[in-house]
Formats: sequence, C-alpha cells, structure tokens
Amino acid sequence: MLLGLGGLLLAGTALADEPAMGDPVAGKKIAGQCRTCHGIDGYAKIPIAPHIGGEPASYLRNQLTAFRDGTRTHEMMSVVAKMLTDEQIEDVAAWYAYPIAMATLTADPSGAPEACTACHGVDGIALIEEAPNLTGETNIYIDTQLKAFRLGKRTHEVMSAVAADMTDAEIRAAADWYADVKLEITVP
Amino acid sequence: MKNLILMTAVGALITSSALAQSANVPSNLEKLSGFKTTGVTDFTFIEQSGDYADGIKRTLERITLPDGFKIELYAVVPDARHMAVGPQGIVTIVGTRKDKVWSVTDRNKDRVADEVKDFAPSLTFSIPNGPCFSKDGFLYIAEQNRVLLFPAAEFFYESPDVAAFNLVAQGELIPAEQESFNHTARVCKLGPDGKIYISLGQPFNVAPPENLEVNTEWGIGGMIRMNTDGTGREVYTYGIRNSVGHDFHPATGDLWFTDNQVDGMGDDIPPGELNHQTAMGQHFGHPWYGGGDTRTNEYAGQEVPVDVIMPAVDTIAHAADLGMTFYTGKQFPAEYKNAIFSAQHGSWNRTTPVGARVMVTIIDDEGNATMKPFAEGWIDENGEYLGRPVDVAQLRDGSILVSDDLAGAIYRISYSK
Repeated sequence: MLLGLGGLLLAGTALADEPAMGDPVAGKKIAGQCRTCHGIDGYAKIPIAPHIGGEPASYLRNQLTAFRDGTRTHEMMSVVAKMLTDEQIEDVAAWYAYPIAMATLTADPSGAPEACTACHGVDGIALIEEAPNLTGETNIYIDTQLKAFRLGKRTHEVMSAVAADMTDAEIRAAADWYADVKLEITVP
Repeated sequence: MKNLILMTAVGALITSSALAQSANVPSNLEKLSGFKTTGVTDFTFIEQSGDYADGIKRTLERITLPDGFKIELYAVVPDARHMAVGPQGIVTIVGTRKDKVWSVTDRNKDRVADEVKDFAPSLTFSIPNGPCFSKDGFLYIAEQNRVLLFPAAEFFYESPDVAAFNLVAQGELIPAEQESFNHTARVCKLGPDGKIYISLGQPFNVAPPENLEVNTEWGIGGMIRMNTDGTGREVYTYGIRNSVGHDFHPATGDLWFTDNQVDGMGDDIPPGELNHQTAMGQHFGHPWYGGGDTRTNEYAGQEVPVDVIMPAVDTIAHAADLGMTFYTGKQFPAEYKNAIFSAQHGSWNRTTPVGARVMVTIIDDEGNATMKPFAEGWIDENGEYLGRPVDVAQLRDGSILVSDDLAGAIYRISYSK
C-alpha cells in the first residue's frame, strides 16, 4: 500500500514538474485508433500491447517518434505512427500521460530484480522520466523487449547495456516480477 | 486396464531418444519427462459464476444467429485463444497469448463447464496459444519457440504433474533472433496423414527482403509439418503472412487456412484470406501480394518469382480471420455438413470496426467456397468491442465452442428444431 502511494505521488510530481506540451482533449480523439489494443484509458486490451496510461508524456512521445522514424519497429505500431503528425503525437501522448497508474505490490520487495529497480521501481512505477512503467505488463511483453534490446533490434543507451548481460532465465524472472504486480489506471 | 494401456503408450514414448534427449530442458520439464514430481501442487481455479459471468451472459443476449441456434456461456476462461477438445470428450484445453494453458471440464455433462483450472502449472509457458490433440489422446501445445507433447493428457491433467516431453525443444522452432510477440499465436492440428501441422506467422507487416531466405528455410510465414515424434520436419506451405487458423477437409483431406493480410493500405484493401491448399509446397503470395490480388507497396512492380495460389475466399479487409474448424457433427442442419466455422477477431485500425463475429463457409461440390456471417453482435453502437471471437471447436454432441480473448470466455452454440 505504501509503495502504491509512492507511485501515485511520483506520477503526480512528474506531471506537475513537466506539463505535457500536447492537448489531452484532442489526444483523446486520436486515441480512438489506439483503444482496441491499448484501451481508451491506457489499460491494454490485448496481451501484446503494453499498458500506457499514466506513462510520462515524454516517454510516449519518444516511442511514437521512434516508430515513425523507423528506429523502433513493430508490425502494428510502425503502421500507426507513420500516419501521425508531430502535433498529433504530442496530443495523444498528453492524453495517455493524463491517467494515473498505481501499483499494488503483494510480494516481498526483496525479490525485485536488482538490475531494474533503480529506474523502473520495485513495483514497476518508473522513478525517472525516461523509463516506462512496467507494472502489470504481460510478462511476455517485457521478455520480448529485453530480448530485443539484447539482440540490438531495439536500442537505448542504458537498456542495451543492461540487457546485454542478462540470461534468458534472468529476463523471464524480471518479466514475471513486474507482470505479477497489480496495476490500476484511473482517469482523474 | 485403461491405466495399463496408457502407461504402455507412455513407456513407448520414453524410449524414443528424439523425445527424451534435447538440449536446454527446463528443470521441471526434465522432471515431468522422467515422471517425477515437481513439488508444485497448487492450481489456479477460475470462478465460473457471479458478476463477471453475468456480464458476459448479458452480452450474449445481443448476439444474432440463424433460426434454431442459440449461444450460451460455456466457461469463463481468461485470455481464451485456441481450443483443443479431448478425443474422449473429457477436457477442453485452451491456449493463451500469455503464460497459461487452461483445462476446461464439464463434469456433469450439462454442456456448461464446471471447472476451469490451469494445465501443467509447474511448467513455464511462453505464448502457449496453440493446443491440439491427436486421435489417440496425445496433446501438443505450440508456443512461441517450442512445442511440448503430453501423452494421455486427458488422464494426467487432473494432477499438477502431467507427463511432458519436448516435440520441438526451446529455440528450435525458429531461430531465437526471429522471435517476436506479435504474429506468434501458433496453431497446430493433426493432419489426415498423422503428421502435425504448425503455422508460423512472420513478424512484420510486410516481410522485408532480407528475411525471405530465412523465412523460406524455416517455414516462417508458412506452415510446417513433422511426424509426431519430432522427426521429418518440412515446410508444407509458403507465402503466408500470419495464419492463425487451419483445419483439414473431412472428405478430401485438403488443408484450408485463414491468413491475416497487410495493414496500412487503407480501410478497404487488401482483403483477408481463406485459402485452400491442394499440394505440398504451394505458395500463397506474401510478400509480393498483400492479400488477394492486391500487390504490396514494398514489392510493387517487381516480378513475382513464384507461382501463387489465390485465396478461395477474399474476406472483408482487416476483419482478422483467425481460428477455424470443419463441421462434422450431426446436431446442425444438413447444409452445415463439412462447412467451415471460423472466427473474425475484429479490426484494430479500420475507421469503422468490422469483424468480431463467427462466419460459416459452405463449400459446394466443385470446391467453390462461400462465406457468410453466422453469429454477430459483439460490436456495440459506439463501435466498441464487447467480445472478440478467436477460435471455433466442435464438441462430441455436435455443438460448437467459440473462444473470446477479450471477454475471457468460451461460448457454446447449439441447435434444436
């Protein structure tokens, strides 16, 4: 419960410190094309899509831009992002940054994966702007992303190095840890 | 006596070195392969009544069907994907795109499941989307990059420790660097030749040129088949984008399969596909064709280097035709004999959503196929999905089951005059 509140506070702080540039009301309309997979409030409807409600707007903007530019690729997202203008990306990022993501951790926190917690938190609510929340993501999603970093299919100055040294078993254990934390997304 | 026969069958399996010896065996699989206990004793049981089930039942009141048919909730099954009905009718095994496989049991045979619990809870699964049974009761589960084999699964599934073996060991279905999460819902079925047929989607919207060689070699963007001891693997089908449903015609034995087509070319092109394969090695057009006879932008103007089989049915664009089964039961009217029941998952990137329904395809004496809606109503007036059908399977009484991974449910459709 304490950890859950911590996540709530951090999410609130992030929003207050760096207000999103985009217009969340316009973004919600654009999100009509996202909701079949990611849900209108960012709680995903299908396992292959991550929960994006309450992520930092900057993270969402960076990922959409990377999909559009081809520096990150995904069969569906590359198609979707190609059709978005800069302004639309800012707006839809502002919309999905607006809800609050809250984690409820029931496991013993000492079991959290050491390589991940400094940025992604013990409960998966990210502690820095640049990192996404991992709370409640499908374990196979996290597993797939870590393997993509390890293979170089996806690159990031920190994550590429972290994943490079992880075994398949360590990747799955980290994925299972965050997948098992309960996520709630609420729209204020 | 029954147990003795089962144990003999299992004993024969263990002596097969192809199954017993494989690299990279996870510890619990090793234990289960040796008939040892893993210490895992807890099942996860899914509540079958209450508010959640009632909500699904309310949705089903909206679903329209031809006269005489009705649809009812059969089971609450989280993330329900492809289904395999046990040959003795004891259990239905249901895959997911997560890490669980569910066993669904209707103990009192009132045609509503009484118990849903996880199958083989001591094993770590990765996208165990595709279960299939052989006629003699061997269960196969096709995962992201592994295929497991469970002898006498209808007998063993009641225990957490179920005998389990590698058919294709971890990392040997496709090269690890080709692994993805999307387009990795594998489907398996046993063919009339006794071989197992497994679809392997390719992970891109349009397969890039640099992948075509590895795809052709491994059968990625295709269908592979092998003997049920894991030997004799070969590529049976080429030129698939992402097939998530196949079955064999009960009379001709031909392979029919659905294939999801290219996105980003507009709301109304290219069409989805239902395909009919008549010989090994046939090519169905991807990546030169994006669906039907629509050429992809990426390969526009290029000479197509293969002979391409065009679809038996062009389906509505982006509806996402997934699981399918031929109907061989006696419960439904005669027109449905040897018809295909298939699921459309529903579109994700079309201005107005289409799909989210069960289709039926009638094949005439000349082999011409005609598809029409059979059960629909899962898209509400706001264009929101109330359910997304994934797969269709037939029960022994001739009714059919439909899985839904959005609602997390299995429905049963039955007929009475």
